[in-house]
Amino acid sequence: MNPAYLVTETRRSFRSPRFVLFAVAFPVLMFLLQASVFVKAGAPDHDATVKVLMVNMMAFGTFAAAMTAGTKLAIERSSGWQRQLRLTPLSGPGYLGGKAVSSMLVGLPALIIVPVVAIFVEHVHIDPSGWARIIAGIWLGAIPLVLLGLLIGQFGTPESMQPVSMLTMMGMGFLGGLWIPIEGMPAWMHTVAQVTPTYWLTQLVRPVVTDEMTVSFASAAGALAVFTVVLGALMIKRYRKDSARV
Amino acid sequence: MHKTQTQPRETGVAAGAAVHLTGLRKHYGDVRAVDGVDLTIAPGEVVALLGPNGAGKSTTVDMILGLTRPDSGTVSVFGSTPAAAVAEGAIGAMLQGGALLDDMTVAEMVGMVASLHHKPMPVGEALRRAGIADLGVRRSTKLSGGQKQRVRFAVALVSDPDLLVLDEPTAAMDVGTRREFWKSMYEFTNSGRTVLFATHYLEEAEEFADRVVLMRSGRVVADGSVAEVRALAGGRTVRAVLPGVTEPVIAGLPAVTGYELRGDRAVLSSADSDATLRALLAAVPGARDIEISAVGLEGAFLSLTSEENTEETGR
Repeated sequence: MNPAYLVTETRRSFRSPRFVLFAVAFPVLMFLLQASVFVKAGAPDHDATVKVLMVNMMAFGTFAAAMTAGTKLAIERSSGWQRQLRLTPLSGPGYLGGKAVSSMLVGLPALIIVPVVAIFVEHVHIDPSGWARIIAGIWLGAIPLVLLGLLIGQFGTPESMQPVSMLTMMGMGFLGGLWIPIEGMPAWMHTVAQVTPTYWLTQLVRPVVTDEMTVSFASAAGALAVFTVVLGALMIKRYRKDSARV
Repeated sequence: MHKTQTQPRETGVAAGAAVHLTGLRKHYGDVRAVDGVDLTIAPGEVVALLGPNGAGKSTTVDMILGLTRPDSGTVSVFGSTPAAAVAEGAIGAMLQGGALLDDMTVAEMVGMVASLHHKPMPVGEALRRAGIADLGVRRSTKLSGGQKQRVRFAVALVSDPDLLVLDEPTAAMDVGTRREFWKSMYEFTNSGRTVLFATHYLEEAEEFADRVVLMRSGRVVADGSVAEVRALAGGRTVRAVLPGVTEPVIAGLPAVTGYELRGDRAVLSSADSDATLRALLAAVPGARDIEISAVGLEGAFLSLTSEENTEETGR
């Protein structure tokens, strides 16, 4: 992978107000809002609930970052920049790989800032190995979301990406339990949640912060692996088809 | 087939050629965008690809660049496939309507493309050669159409390619900017690079190309130096003021291959201007302000591309 290319790609994201808003500011503010408004200070489950909210918003930040990367891909595709890049030694896998890695990198701010805010504002305590599992888990667990973003970006136009990525973010955020914790969901919704990768993403690290409604690491990792393979295959197939046509 | 079609000038080995196309075809549904093109471009040649809209210029260019796969026929660029030539950084291209990124400065964008190549020229030099050394810190949203084209030119140049392919490079440029652009181009071609450019502007072809390839309906209808192509069209243009003349009279004159009549003013294309003129003076004694001129490239272009207009292909 070409480091100079990757740095430029990643730096571009931070210039997008939309990215900074959704992938950085929004998760932080939502975390603060939910933690102070919806959780009673003296409640016995206060700590666990705040931690669950924190994990949810970290996951949402990486999700939003991935969707922004998808929008960028749609813009490059429809504007002809992708064609221009095809006239450089950068290969198709190199292009998609670069996009995937840079959208992983731009997910990091939320993974760092939300916990920092949680520690200093909400006095969250988690041991170092727990933190490691949460941050690394959400970061790597976001791979299928990154692939989803890139897949959608290859279908969408710059105009349609706005509503489509919004709907995906809200829909999967809601159903997957990022917006309302799964504890508050009726049973049917909890069942539906399990078709979303966002649900399994939070489940990957949930055992660190609560004992309730958790699944084993193996089943969460397995589900995410399945999403990764399926979304990855679809994305590559779509890219091949797309680049053969134009 | 048109009787004026010529063969490519040389049938040299593909390996020695900068671009070598044989029997190239591309159909989009029923539309034959490119319908059997043979073309060999020697290293160092500056070739203009001319033709009306839908003649297949862009599709041909796309196939040379490896962006579109031919239905049949072969493309070789410096003896290898387009993909291999692109991977080596041997091809630089300015695509039609090629995009620029809104969230990067000009220097960053050119630098990004440079970072992808193995042996790029310094970004500053690419900007200077494209005549935009002072625009490096600007975002592309703050550029005029002509400036954007120059940024695209810098993007194409920065890999220091052996073959430069330009699809309508001066579209969206005003006359002054166009001149400036071709001045930058000249500097580049003087270093012995091969250039293929598609254009609508005949004067650009006339002025800057060593060789002109004329396409119509997916085929090459003429190929040669500007003088040769001009000669292919043959004939002269006769202009005159013909008081009271009617269309049948003009159409009935000998050797007239085409005409245009506006009021009393007539412009005739003639395969034999002497015969036409003698008959004209006999038929219209009041004829005056008579001018006879050789057909320019534009005339050649029109006469070579105007037939079979009904078969004009889309895209």
